Amino acid sequence: MKRLLRSRKAITPVLSNVLMMLIAVAGMSIAITATYVITANFHDIMGERFIVEDVWFRTSGISIYLRNTGKVPIRFSAVYINYTSQSFTPLELDVAGHGWLNVTHAWTANSVYYINIVTSRGAHVANYYKAPP
Amino acid sequence: MLRTIIRLRLKRFRRDRRGVSNIIVVALSLVIITLIVSNVVLWGYQMNQLDWERMREDVKITSVTRTTFASWFAVQNEYQINKGSRAGGTFMDTQADDSLYETFLEAQPAPAYAFEINGTFVTDVSTYPFAYISTIEIRLRYRVSSSEDTWFLLAYNWASGTYSNSGFNNTDGDPSPTMWDYYSINMTSQWRSYVRDDGTIYVKLCDEQALKGSTEPVPRARTSIDIDFLSVRVIGDWTTFTLRNDGPSTVHVVSLWVIDSENHSHYSADAVINSGETLPYLRVDVHLPCEPYAVKAVTEKGNVAVYSGA
Repeated sequence: MKRLLRSRKAITPVLSNVLMMLIAVAGMSIAITATYVITANFHDIMGERFIVEDVWFRTSGISIYLRNTGKVPIRFSAVYINYTSQSFTPLELDVAGHGWLNVTHAWTANSVYYINIVTSRGAHVANYYKAPP
Repeated sequence: MLRTIIRLRLKRFRRDRRGVSNIIVVALSLVIITLIVSNVVLWGYQMNQLDWERMREDVKITSVTRTTFASWFAVQNEYQINKGSRAGGTFMDTQADDSLYETFLEAQPAPAYAFEINGTFVTDVSTYPFAYISTIEIRLRYRVSSSEDTWFLLAYNWASGTYSNSGFNNTDGDPSPTMWDYYSINMTSQWRSYVRDDGTIYVKLCDEQALKGSTEPVPRARTSIDIDFLSVRVIGDWTTFTLRNDGPSTVHVVSLWVIDSENHSHYSADAVINSGETLPYLRVDVHLPCEPYAVKAVTEKGNVAVYSGA
């Protein structure tokens, strides 16, 4: 018994095994988390769909009615009119959500505008719209 | 000999830890990569299916019409006879404008020949909410055996608790028709007093003797009355969208737009149209503008049908 307690040779392999296990568990956790994050990102990017239901040229600016037809919530991050970024009221749409996105822009009658709406994940819908007389 | 060789090989394999860890790392990496790829492929498949279904949708607006009259709301059960008696037919014969009719006789004994019945009618308040009703019409198709009476349609006034025709467009009654004839009244802007919150309307049909009693000249003969049709309907300013689905899958219309030069009015919708089906979709809350307009119907999957009207 005395000899066994004095012998330090058996402790090193035990410690090394425990350390190895810890490192393996930590590595796997990191790998699984990374997998989850990567696939969730892919999901979100691939699941984004939205449409422009209506564009209304008003005296206060241009109002765009949007509907989320995809499978993930959407946050709109940029609106470009004729390739120029415009300020707008923030809008987030849940799945199947819909609402007005009000863009501050002075328009002129009978002019054609190229409106590009971009989401935070990079999806975009763009089209030409003619202002009323 | 063989046993010794196997023992030696196993010993070497157990000692060589690098090989084992390599295998574990490769296997785990493969599992993770498989997970990522399968997830992405499955999700991509689902989204492709969504896009594919969207492309196959084919919905059209074939017409947009202003609708003023609702369908008729017929009597719910047998008439309550206050004065007179039933001579033939049932209340169901008075639910449709056809050749079937219910026959009543004025009350006896002479000389106080009088007639009075009540019927219960229920309007559909879920389809026609009160906010979108402009008035209510009562229509009667009937004939009588004698021309000496005058006939009245009244409704129960829920505010005053009495039968009345106050506020009706016709309070003079209808002279007795010996041939089949229509007698219609509408409640003008006073209609709300005559309709209970659940849409119930009590309608009374009576002759002058029953209405005014002894102050009227006594009729000389007992009259029989044939009622072919007695119903009520609501009147308003509504819109019917006729939607047609020419696609192979069912379409769910979730949004309607009525756009004119002044306004872009949005209405949430919930119309499901089967493949190959044409659906008349009534909206009591939509009023068409007098000027040229455009109507848009948006489906759940994101397709838009457009119609231009004037």
